Amino acid sequence: MSLAEGWYAVAVADDIEPGTSAGTRLFDQELVVWRDLAGVSHVWEDRCPHRGMRLSFGFVRGNHIACLYHGWAYDTAGQCRAIPAHPDLAVPETIKVATYHAAEAAGLIFVHSALGAEAPPPPAPVPSGRALRSLYVDLPLRSVAAELSKGFTRQDDGSYAGTLAGVPVLIFLQPFTASRTALHLVLAGPGDAVAVSAAGEALRNSFEAAPHSVLEAAE
Amino acid sequence: MSLALHDYELDADCYTVRLLLSILGITAEKIAVDVHPGHEQRSPTYLALNPRGSLPILVDGDLVLAEAEAILCYLARSEPAGGAFLPEEAAQFGQVVSWLFFVRGPLGAATAARLTAMLEAPGDPEALERQARAAFRVMEDHMTTRHLSGATWFVGDRPTLADIALFPPIALSRDFGIDHDEYPALRRWMRRMRTIPGFITMPGIPDYH
Repeated sequence: MSLAEGWYAVAVADDIEPGTSAGTRLFDQELVVWRDLAGVSHVWEDRCPHRGMRLSFGFVRGNHIACLYHGWAYDTAGQCRAIPAHPDLAVPETIKVATYHAAEAAGLIFVHSALGAEAPPPPAPVPSGRALRSLYVDLPLRSVAAELSKGFTRQDDGSYAGTLAGVPVLIFLQPFTASRTALHLVLAGPGDAVAVSAAGEALRNSFEAAPHSVLEAAE
Repeated sequence: MSLALHDYELDADCYTVRLLLSILGITAEKIAVDVHPGHEQRSPTYLALNPRGSLPILVDGDLVLAEAEAILCYLARSEPAGGAFLPEEAAQFGQVVSWLFFVRGPLGAATAARLTAMLEAPGDPEALERQARAAFRVMEDHMTTRHLSGATWFVGDRPTLADIALFPPIALSRDFGIDHDEYPALRRWMRRMRTIPGFITMPGIPDYH
């Protein structure tokens, strides 16, 4: 299986607080998701050009993200702006992190999988939707999709519509690794968030317990 | 009263005790034990002090206490500032103790996985990682529910021994190859942990975040 080009949800927007970063994966590709202090979210390749350290291990200061190893600091365009060991150096423009197109909708952060290319408009799922939580399932995407198709309806934007605990929800899938998938839950109507969250956990557990999933996961 | 902690800088259980001592503002004499490569904690001298051959060991006058969670409970009762970390109220007391047993039970796989990865302790790395991930998921689901309910800490409305004891295994998980990517609720909680006055780190837990 390869990754189909397009927009993928990678995080609940509220889970990436201003001034923080987190690592994630899109079909095994390591990404850093971070939010600057102005509130803008960014999704980049998770690798400092200096020594290859994951930038998600680093720290956000103002509108820069800095690597944990040697403090190289990058602006919101991915351009290196400061190298602490050489404070007087004019940093070459070639020192730049590869950046992805990112967008927020329905309380989720989406990334377009084609690195640096022109991206089509991001998905626009239910404007009133409220992102609830992310769930990580130890199954490949197609096993999760097969399980979801039993009770949910696939939408044009790739999400799955259905109900959890009697509440209408949308589920966006993120191929995390070849063998793991993230489910990002969006409430599409009013309901008890804790009950829906618990129903989501039960759904995850039932997927992982499904006997045929083991065979698909081994493929 | 003078406290002495027999301590190893890289030991997660010792860090748990150092963390509570620091948060409570208590000064204890720290006696460095050569665990790696010396295995000094299992030397005849140390076995005379603590026959279990484990660290940390807290010495308070005539009292010699082993097991990190027991030391946390002792400090919560012996220190005036410690009481709030072990609630009197029955339900919360039970919940805190339940998480302390979780640390030594299911979450023990994380401690073992780290020792296997870092200090060449015997163990099956794949099985330990699987068990550690299962334990982290229990914590993640709990803290997701807590967050959706407007709560910040594992039990009640303030940090308790549960938070102190649960923090080191997940904060150190990168030492044995488990990133925090799949744990958004635990990431948020770990950032809150860093705001507790007196919070300290150890090698493997960045000062910056």
